[in-house]
Amino acid sequence: MVNFTIDQIRAIMDKKANIRNMSVIAHVDHGKSTLTDSLVSKAGIIASSRAGETRFTDTRKDEQERCITIKSTAISLFYELHDNDTAFIKQGINGNGFLINLIDSPGHVDFSSEVTAALRVTDGALVVVDCVSGVCVQTETVLRQAIAERIKPVLMMNKMDRALLELQLEPERLYQTFQRIIESVNVIISTYGEDDGGPMGLIFIDPVIGTVGFGSGLHGWAFTLKQFAEKFIAKYAAKGDLTLTPEERCKKVEAMMKKLWGERFFDPETNKFTKTCSGSKNTVLSRTFVHLILDPIYKMFDAIMNFKKEEAAAMLEKLDIKLDTEDKDKEGKPLLKAVMRRWLPAGEALLQMIAIHLPSPVTAQKYRCELLYEGPGDDEAAMGIKNCDSAAPLMMYISKMVPTTDKGRFYAFGRVFSGTVSTGLKVRIMGPNYTPGKKEDLYTKQIQRTILMMGRYTEPIEDVPCGNIVGLVGVDQYLIKTGTITTFEAAHNMRVMKFSVSPVVRVAVEVKNPADLPKLVEGLKRLAKSDPMVQCIIEESGEHIVAGAGELHLEICLKDLEEDHACVPLKKSDPVVSYRETVSEESSIMCLSKSPNKHNRLFMKARPFPDGLAEDIEKGDVTPRQELKARARYLVDKYEWDAGEARKIWCFGPDGTGPNLLVDVTKGVQYLNEIKDSVVAGFQWASKEGVLCEENMRACRYDVHDVSLHTDAIHRGGGQIIPTARRVLYACQLTAEPRLMEPVYLVEIQCPEAVVGGIYGVLNRRRGHVFEECQVMGTPMFIVKAFLPVNESFGFTADLRSNTGGQAFPQCVFDHWQILPGDPKDATTKPFQVVADIRKRKGIKEGIPLLDNYLDKM
Amino acid sequence: MTDAFSSNSDAVLQRGVDVTSGSDAPLENVEEQYQIKRTCDFINNNGFKKVALQFPDEVLVHSVPIATEIEKSTSAKLFVLGDTSYGSCCVDEVAAEHVGADCIVHYGRACLSPTTRLPLIYVFERRPLDLEKCAAAFRELYPDTQSHVVVLYDVNYSHAIDALQALLTPSYPNMVVSTLVLDHCHGHSEPPPVGPGEPGVVREFGRRCVLKAGLGVRDYSVFFVGPEGAVLRNFMMTWNRVRFSAFQPATSASRAESPAVNRALMKRYYAIERAKDAGVVGILVGTLGVADYLAIITQLKETIRRAGKKSYMFAMGKLNVAKLANFQEIDVFVLIACPENSLLEHGDFYKPVVTPFEMEVACNRGREWSEDYVTDFRNLLPGGQNHVALGSEQEAGEETDVSLITGALRKHGLWSEEAAVPSDDPSSLVLRNQNLTVAQTHTAASYLAGRSWQGLERKLGETAVTKAVEGRRGIAIAYEGEGKSS
Repeated sequence: MVNFTIDQIRAIMDKKANIRNMSVIAHVDHGKSTLTDSLVSKAGIIASSRAGETRFTDTRKDEQERCITIKSTAISLFYELHDNDTAFIKQGINGNGFLINLIDSPGHVDFSSEVTAALRVTDGALVVVDCVSGVCVQTETVLRQAIAERIKPVLMMNKMDRALLELQLEPERLYQTFQRIIESVNVIISTYGEDDGGPMGLIFIDPVIGTVGFGSGLHGWAFTLKQFAEKFIAKYAAKGDLTLTPEERCKKVEAMMKKLWGERFFDPETNKFTKTCSGSKNTVLSRTFVHLILDPIYKMFDAIMNFKKEEAAAMLEKLDIKLDTEDKDKEGKPLLKAVMRRWLPAGEALLQMIAIHLPSPVTAQKYRCELLYEGPGDDEAAMGIKNCDSAAPLMMYISKMVPTTDKGRFYAFGRVFSGTVSTGLKVRIMGPNYTPGKKEDLYTKQIQRTILMMGRYTEPIEDVPCGNIVGLVGVDQYLIKTGTITTFEAAHNMRVMKFSVSPVVRVAVEVKNPADLPKLVEGLKRLAKSDPMVQCIIEESGEHIVAGAGELHLEICLKDLEEDHACVPLKKSDPVVSYRETVSEESSIMCLSKSPNKHNRLFMKARPFPDGLAEDIEKGDVTPRQELKARARYLVDKYEWDAGEARKIWCFGPDGTGPNLLVDVTKGVQYLNEIKDSVVAGFQWASKEGVLCEENMRACRYDVHDVSLHTDAIHRGGGQIIPTARRVLYACQLTAEPRLMEPVYLVEIQCPEAVVGGIYGVLNRRRGHVFEECQVMGTPMFIVKAFLPVNESFGFTADLRSNTGGQAFPQCVFDHWQILPGDPKDATTKPFQVVADIRKRKGIKEGIPLLDNYLDKM
Repeated sequence: MTDAFSSNSDAVLQRGVDVTSGSDAPLENVEEQYQIKRTCDFINNNGFKKVALQFPDEVLVHSVPIATEIEKSTSAKLFVLGDTSYGSCCVDEVAAEHVGADCIVHYGRACLSPTTRLPLIYVFERRPLDLEKCAAAFRELYPDTQSHVVVLYDVNYSHAIDALQALLTPSYPNMVVSTLVLDHCHGHSEPPPVGPGEPGVVREFGRRCVLKAGLGVRDYSVFFVGPEGAVLRNFMMTWNRVRFSAFQPATSASRAESPAVNRALMKRYYAIERAKDAGVVGILVGTLGVADYLAIITQLKETIRRAGKKSYMFAMGKLNVAKLANFQEIDVFVLIACPENSLLEHGDFYKPVVTPFEMEVACNRGREWSEDYVTDFRNLLPGGQNHVALGSEQEAGEETDVSLITGALRKHGLWSEEAAVPSDDPSSLVLRNQNLTVAQTHTAASYLAGRSWQGLERKLGETAVTKAVEGRRGIAIAYEGEGKSS
């Protein structure tokens, strides 16, 4: 731990080249928080007044109880690099002291949104992988997001102690395991990364350059090849009695590192490195990594765990490891921990890796700017971000809200990308719906206070320059979850974050006592702020809905709502999923609806999207804001749309952005442009509330084929057209074989081979199907991947555990929408039942409305 | 082709009217059913010269025999008013004033909303009530003879209620029978005058009942005589903690009403949330007869303005989906009408229609959503039992809030910076910056800017220049000679 006064911290903040903003990301239970602890204990900054108190990243009681991280937590570390090591840094630096802002993020898929928020404010990521389980589904999800945000990754191969003690892997097999994990990580990087690494350069991880760490967070030891290379160089240097300059030393070490990985072998007879495994005396050589690095570690483990005291003492002597007196009396595991910590301290290795290989804000903001900023690349704000200029106009992104001790108030947590933020500064607070030149979602307010957030503690600070992470007091009421804060009047928004999960599981909450309703509403509003992902909405039926990414996420949200935000007893419904309505064929007839005055007729048809288009719209590859021609070309090339029609997309819906399209395929209709707005309004309405059960529509294309209009504008106003457009769209949907779509999870289950059968049983009962099953190399563990309808996933975890003796752990992440087979109009099918249930819950008339309500005769 | 594009005037005259309750039954006893004698006495005693007879659509067929009967006994000139502009339950004073009538005779179902201008007599259509069955149903629903029950009834059954009371009071000492409040009309026996503050007296929707000292409405159950409809629904919404049961005279069926009203309240709460989201509010004038409608309009306008929203006023007679959808820039409508017509289901409307009470919950910070629900807007006015004053403008200040419908942030209250914007004075200088235009953004203007079609397209250079020709004549619904040319 390092003790600093606020003034000292403030001074470090100005050295932007020496700041590292990084997140720790990984699959659940791969040991992020434990690893973080070893970093904090080594270098955590605590203000002098807080010295002596610990447990920094555990900010919530339930996090400690469940042993699971729920919220991401930021802490600052201070690390002083040795003079010799500064030569390794390939970017500009300013002195030896490094300020590392670290965000520990949750690993459970349900809290992925917290990871997304953490990634946005950081430039580098420490990806932690359990070397026993390998790369898992969540590793891939978070890594993919990191790459998309242009976050540079480094890897930490964690839980080596398990590989050695539990699995007792041969050194060569362990090397193979490492090699495979590194490969899979690099495959992900190359799949989702830009060609040739893009402006970030090559970001593949490679032990040879030192971007891979190995070790055990639990035991507190870790190393990169650099540590061992240095030890050897030091050995030889001592022999030759040379004094190397840092640069020369750096070159030697880097050369040495190259020899320590891959198809490099060491011949102990000749003391030479070779590239073949056949030694001078026809012996089979072991590779350098095994011989020079793993073997000593294995020997140490063997000596200590098997109580070979003399051997151990000899090794300690040889490696020059001096133990404390209290440690000397230890035996077995405790002794092993103490020894390893002395020999290969985790904090040292990891902090070096972070300081050397992760980019500073100065480096990162240059290439991240175009992804971060929506405005032109050459305005003052963009230049300020690119140059990380603390004298430029302020640009700050708020990535999340952190609850304060004051109920209902929040710290706005974010990163300053340009300029300097200070207490009392008058700023423009822009929400996600702000557009330059408009007043919507824009507030001009003073910042009450700027604060440093260190774990659960906060310290007031006068001002904070760009490149740093900071909390603001007094802007929370002008933002919901995220936003941009600036002093530049013409600034555009910073781009909103894209989440990898969607809120597909919903619960209706009710107060037990109707008089408490205002408290519930207030609580829902607070909850909406406190979580980046949760949605709190009132449905037209009057139900209050909380929607989250999964059961666990909802459970935590509802607990927070009841205990912290609303503080009244609540009734909760069983979880339900939200469905989508779609069509499966082209409309069987041309649908006609007449306006109330019978003077206007709309002719339309519906048809389903080609596969993939709805996903493209959701991903943002096809958007309403896209340039018309580019979008048309994309649709023509990828989906073989007619070039003319592709240019005549009237709008997206619902909400102007959803995955349904209204297309004009008319020929020479008079006054058509006049009614466009009215038809669009009707389309937004009908695509928001489909005819089956008023759920959103998805993957539907509606074509306007013909329109006949009254010649007089007064008879074709919105009043005539909007309701008519809605009716004809409903008719289109009903004649195009309407279907329901349900959300589907991708489930990844890890388990021993013996219980795989039990998993199949549970999945079959729940309409799941397995599409991949493989053994984790070098372990008896199996990984089963399956698709499981979200609707069937409630209680899945518990069911699975009881059927496998608690040996299978599933991770569910929303993957796609699929059609629920069966005709909702047929009373014997499941969709019919689902529609009936939804209509009942929403309090709308029983039964799907008949076509006659919407279709008119010529 | 002519009919496809414009309806001719004959079609309008021949268009059928949807009449719900078919009283096609031959008129047997005009005197008994329509209380001709009482009506004539009322006219003769007050010496009225011109009398307006207001009929709802379903009784209009009987207007001629009724008028003939009345003419026989009075010398007054009679006018028959049909097709009431708003709800036929309200008294159409404006139409009566058009003919300069001295008084109004109102036939059919009435909402009993107080009126101000003209003397008035209600003639309720007397519907038969099977007293025995009704009393039996009552006994079955309330086996405990000590039950505290309020008896409410539809106006059509008021003639039989005294008999029902006589039948039940001996065994049910705690039963309270409500009376109709008709004290503003002439010709009825005036109920004993009571001040609004008198304890134990409850007035709601033109009914009045005297409860036992120390008890509130909540301590009572309600027994309603009449068909399901607006009256019952209004009472259930307003007294939403009270248990209701209803007896339907037409079928002689009785049942305890389900607590579905809680669901209805939740739906209304959704409407309030929509009203909070709204930037532009349309005030729909749905009555010109109910007393104090001008006062509530003024109060609403101010409430809406203080909440930082814009309001426009609409008078459009009977509402329908197409009429309201013509005003796309309006985010929510607030309907000022008599209690029976106030609650509109928002199913088919493009934008929701809320009541004045709901608008106040949305806009007036002093008013909180609680169990009380008010459908009668008169209670919201100063002096009314549910009046909540607006806070002073200074203390109202600015506030933000999360919308639970869009999930976005919304402003509430007048924002000082907006008030200070120099746009109020069009001649003052505004600083122009590189990407903001000088024009101030107003709700309506920004709406127009968002439309893809903003009005007449000039198509400069694309249309040939022609000499002016004579245009069409007539009104938009049917120009003279329209359709013949094609």
